[in-house]
Amino acid sequence: MANALFYLMAALSVVAAVGVVLLRNPIANVLSLLFSFFCLATIYLLAGFQFLAAAQILVYAGAIMVLFLFVIMLLNLASLPALEDTGLALFARGRSGVTVVVAAALLCLGLAAVVGSPATAAQTLADMPPDGIDAIKGTPGLTEGMAGEMFGRYLLPFEAVSMLLLATAVAVVVLAKRNRPGLEVRAGRDAGSDVS
Amino acid sequence: MTVPSAHLFILAAILFSIGAAGFFLRRNVIVVLMCIELMLNAANLTFLAASRMHSLDVPGGRLDLQGPIFAIFVIVVAAVEAAVGLALVIALYRRKQTVSLDDVVELKD
Repeated sequence: MANALFYLMAALSVVAAVGVVLLRNPIANVLSLLFSFFCLATIYLLAGFQFLAAAQILVYAGAIMVLFLFVIMLLNLASLPALEDTGLALFARGRSGVTVVVAAALLCLGLAAVVGSPATAAQTLADMPPDGIDAIKGTPGLTEGMAGEMFGRYLLPFEAVSMLLLATAVAVVVLAKRNRPGLEVRAGRDAGSDVS
Repeated sequence: MTVPSAHLFILAAILFSIGAAGFFLRRNVIVVLMCIELMLNAANLTFLAASRMHSLDVPGGRLDLQGPIFAIFVIVVAAVEAAVGLALVIALYRRKQTVSLDDVVELKD
């Protein structure tokens, strides 16, 4: 049952990911990506990573996707004329052959890594001795063990990430605010930038 | 779920290559950012699959925690990247009234 659900979710997430690439309307792209994230969160749950599934939904679906939707609606992108050909017409352009080759090469690389990986990759949970499965299943949603590691062995990366978040907050404010009057002379020199 | 970890790796590889293809094919900056998010998610899935695989490797069945912790860091970096990227999109739209990568060629020409 759980296995069938995994394969269903895997197929749906791939379909949704293809939708992100091929659909024209940016809002449809965002909703497709959102659906893909929900499918992945289900897969995390099935694999036993409950905390990651919750973080996936809270941070990705709840925060990042809302940010994307907010910008799309703020700029009213859905009402702009089409920027480009979409759908299968994407593949009719000049450089798309190179792109397809690069993507196929990446896919082959990933599959080759799986084929060359140790036998554990092919091992299923059913192969495990029963006490091993119980030990894995007994981990309470990973959270306790992860907290211990996060504030112990990984304390320095944790602090580095907090600095990264602070720097991001400052950078976003600087990037998104309007130019001050003194800067408009420089901005005006560029062609086509006579926007106040 | 008793699926072999290899199938998780294969799913991650498929999602990553779809994201990479979209990154190169699309010209809309926002869709390009979404494709980056898709690739980061595939990387996350790889971390978790590897963690699961190593947990099965240990005789006692203790869960390997490095994968989930790195996945958390990847989520944070993805949030940061989305915030900065979208701020850049807003700044770009304010100056040029466009979000198409074909119109931003100052460094290319």
